[in-house]
Amino acid sequence: MSAGVGVDLENLWIRFGDFVAVRDANVHIKGGDFFSFLGPSGCGKTTILRAVSGFLEPSEGNVLIGGNNMKGIGPNKRPTALIFQNLALFPLMKVWENITFSMEIAGASAKERRKRADELLDMIALPGQGDKLPSELSGGQRQRVAIARALCAEPDVLLLDEPLSALDLKLRQHMRTELREIQKRVGITFIYITHDQGEALTMSDDIAVMRAGVIDQIADGKTIYNDPATAFAASFVGENNVFRGKVLEVKGDQALIRTNRSGDLLSRISTANQGTMKAGDEAMMFIRPEALSLAPTGTQGDHFVTAKVNHEEFEGNSFNIFMEGDGGKELKVAIPNHGQSFDDHSGQDMTLEYDVNNAVAVPAGELAAE
Amino acid sequence: MPSFLKEFFNRNGTLMGSLMLGLVLFWTVGLIILPQLSMLDFSFRPNLPPPEIGGPKDIYTLENYKYLIYGPEGGSQDYNAVDLKVFFRTLVAAVCVTLFNLILCYPIAYYLGQTKGNHIRVFALMLIIPYWINEILRAFALRIIFGESGVINTLLVGSGIFDTPFDFIRNDIALYAGLGYAYILLMIFPIYNVIESLDHNQIEAARDLGAPWWRIHKRVVIPYAKPGISSGCTMVFMLSAGALAAPQILGGPSSLWFTQLIYQQFNDNSDWPQGAAYAIVLLVTCILLVLALMRVFKVNMGDIGK
Amino acid sequence: MTSDKIIRVSIWVYLGIFFAYLLGPLVIMSITAFNSPSFPRATPWECLTFEWFGALFQDERILNGIKNSILVGMGTVVLSVAMGLAGALMLTQIWPKLRATYYTIIIAPILIPGVVIGISTLVFWDRINRMLGLGADSFLSNGLFLTIIGQSTFIASYCMLVLVARLQRYDMALTEAALDLGATHAQAFRKVLMPFMMPAILSAAVLAFLASFENYNTTTFTFGEYPTLTIELAQKVRYGITPAISALAFMIVALTVFFALVNEANIKRKAMIADARKDATVGELAGKIEVPGLISRNPAAIALIVLLIGTVTVIGSAMTYSPDQCIANVQEQKRLETEKRIQELRDRRAKESAEKAAAEGAEGGATQTAPKPSNNSGFGGVFAPNTLQNEEDGAADEGVAGSSNNSGFGNVFDPNSIGNDSN
Repeated sequence: MSAGVGVDLENLWIRFGDFVAVRDANVHIKGGDFFSFLGPSGCGKTTILRAVSGFLEPSEGNVLIGGNNMKGIGPNKRPTALIFQNLALFPLMKVWENITFSMEIAGASAKERRKRADELLDMIALPGQGDKLPSELSGGQRQRVAIARALCAEPDVLLLDEPLSALDLKLRQHMRTELREIQKRVGITFIYITHDQGEALTMSDDIAVMRAGVIDQIADGKTIYNDPATAFAASFVGENNVFRGKVLEVKGDQALIRTNRSGDLLSRISTANQGTMKAGDEAMMFIRPEALSLAPTGTQGDHFVTAKVNHEEFEGNSFNIFMEGDGGKELKVAIPNHGQSFDDHSGQDMTLEYDVNNAVAVPAGELAAE
Repeated sequence: MPSFLKEFFNRNGTLMGSLMLGLVLFWTVGLIILPQLSMLDFSFRPNLPPPEIGGPKDIYTLENYKYLIYGPEGGSQDYNAVDLKVFFRTLVAAVCVTLFNLILCYPIAYYLGQTKGNHIRVFALMLIIPYWINEILRAFALRIIFGESGVINTLLVGSGIFDTPFDFIRNDIALYAGLGYAYILLMIFPIYNVIESLDHNQIEAARDLGAPWWRIHKRVVIPYAKPGISSGCTMVFMLSAGALAAPQILGGPSSLWFTQLIYQQFNDNSDWPQGAAYAIVLLVTCILLVLALMRVFKVNMGDIGK
Repeated sequence: MTSDKIIRVSIWVYLGIFFAYLLGPLVIMSITAFNSPSFPRATPWECLTFEWFGALFQDERILNGIKNSILVGMGTVVLSVAMGLAGALMLTQIWPKLRATYYTIIIAPILIPGVVIGISTLVFWDRINRMLGLGADSFLSNGLFLTIIGQSTFIASYCMLVLVARLQRYDMALTEAALDLGATHAQAFRKVLMPFMMPAILSAAVLAFLASFENYNTTTFTFGEYPTLTIELAQKVRYGITPAISALAFMIVALTVFFALVNEANIKRKAMIADARKDATVGELAGKIEVPGLISRNPAAIALIVLLIGTVTVIGSAMTYSPDQCIANVQEQKRLETEKRIQELRDRRAKESAEKAAAEGAEGGATQTAPKPSNNSGFGGVFAPNTLQNEEDGAADEGVAGSSNNSGFGNVFDPNSIGNDSN
């Protein structure tokens, strides 16, 4: 998969008046990768995409595609194709005309275009639908037509701007798999924009987590999930329980943290912060709901937490216990369902246990909004 | 190049961007702003034969405006009573025509806007068709009807209401009917557009709460339709104050419209600066009146033309 | 329930009055085109005639006016649609702070009186012409040029309004998508934006042409050597009206109605096709839309057919029908009536003078014939309609005589005096 064309962002700044949309972004995207920018809306990820596709001129810094600086090159001259959030299929053109629009621009004959359209329609599993109008297709079909239209231009880099956000949940999950398969088949670089961590985790080779114009962390999905670099990354990707406190002492790659509510707890320091975190720092410790398990009530220790149960719920594959947590946020515990009996503990104190390697400490910082 | 221009050309391409910018500039500056300024400038100059234009006699003067107020120098009267009378009569009559149109059109706009059904399309078509007919011909049609031996007089005399034909033209009734007729559509459509977007449930709710029909209109419909009403009134007022064809065709022989004075200055007296001054007076007065009304009724310029 | 009924009835009465006001004049004007008296009138009905259509097509000035109107109309359509489109596009992307000012400027021509636009155009281009040192016959002082420029000033605003309404529904991402797929800005404009805007561009063009065709206020200052149809009509209407103008008006009305119905039928048809397409493939479509179905579901189509048949009948009968006999009859009747009246008048005068003579006989009979009912002006007797034209009864006599006394204009505007001339 090294055949693809890479994309580099070098010291990229994008400003709109006084507003800084992207702050000093440095990203290296390997050729043939499925790369996602993940972040809440308004974090600047779409702005980066528009800078890569050429609709926006960066205020500072460079966009390199395949090592070539794209400065001053318009969107119609760049080896990129963009799939728009609302797809932007041409409403008055038939499906096959939509798909082969780039060939029409290049001056291909109608016969050639028909042939190519049929090939692509087969690829996206819509054979024989070429003569319909986009408005006569379902949401998922339109989605696939948009992909085919972009692929028909034979781009080196395919840019996707939250293309699944308009679909319903079932279809979205199905399209994830399909997109990933298409990417593997065509072998070109995909740059994917999303605010849905599930999409990012399932499809991407690498993910950049963005917050307010800043890239917090670039890593593969597993690393981001298990070893987040910032409080934001830890809280934005997946459910997480937060414990605020102050570092008492650092022992190797572990830190003992005096938390505000739950006593002194031991945690692994996230890889990115090992060596920089020191005693006296404000810190946050994160433990996933599924990393907590029940322990005999009242057990003390640096990996035990005791708190009052607020309420409980049964979710099928797990029992969820919600306890009084730190900073007004509830502490969530997910106990896998093996068919065991489960009593209601509402109003009682319970003690939880965790493996220190599953807890991760990062410097105190902004959390993702719920 | 300033950054917003650069961005503009980036967005639209050099060729399309320049074409677009060129057309817009030609329109706004070359056709709208400069001609108006040029006319303003011209109105302050004396009426000179072409060779003397730009010569020593070509100086700024208030003479043309003074003429409207005081009449010709050394004239027998202290004031230009004739022209001033025409001026004020035109404004008052235009206001009357506007009110007449509003009263006539509000119910039909309301009806069209709040009724559903196929016949509404037919009504809309019937509204538009007369508007596609030439302005002169519409005035002509009214002249036939209001004429001495026209249909109305035949009916009136025939049914014994009048024993002699009534001179609608001399009494300016034909003129007002014609002006009202000419701009019906411009009153209906803005009001209709707004009322159409009014949720019928609001009216039902008001009725449900026991409001009589006039109160529903006063408290619910008219406040909502205000932008449309003011837009329609503005257009009808400006157009009827500036009308020329209808007064020429339907006006009585002795009563003039202010635009006819302007026309005479240009075509009969060949006094362009004088005509320009009169045109400026008309334009400025109308705009001030409309702006004052907009201020009173708290509507924006942006509502016009919706 | 009765009050409900009253409301409903009064709504329909109101609608009836309203549309009578709106359409009545046009209907009556159209009728006058087929009536034989030389002053356009619907009553009394004399003879069905088509001669006014003939008169119309022999009128050089009308024909020339139509030609000029079409030239001006085409120029105005091109210029104002282009400017309106550019103006609308600019409105969607102008700097927000400038937006309100810009909108005010481009909407202002709608509100500026047409007379003012005409004058300012004339004054401004005259000045440009002089600045460039060109003569009075230069391109810039050409009537066609000035009229197109003057009309486009405000017609472009109408076009802009029509276009911006559709442009608001345009997704700018479509243009970006085209650019992204390799199109140049011009290609994106031509292949994506233009097809989308086409319906609005067509309506704007039609609107612009109609507005240009009927414009009088602006054109009257700018037409120069190129009087448009409207200018010619205004001249005619101001200085004497004939049913030939009614004939022209009738044709315009008929054309308008025709195109309105065609348009209506088109809209219906498109809606039906759109409906059908929703659940049918292209192959099925052809079978689904049959001609009878189209007509049965489409009142506009029926009206169109009726109108067509009507036109054919009228034209057909016009070819064969000759009103000469009828006109001769009417004239004969008029002549008889006139004679009768004159006879009556003579009798009355004779009787009166006889009475007078009898009464004043003792004083010597110096004033012999002073007809009492006659008017106090010398003209009165000559032009009083009852001497020549008698379908009006005595009532018309006083009215006309009264008006002829006031001003010189009175006669020009007086229908009967014109009737006199052409009789």
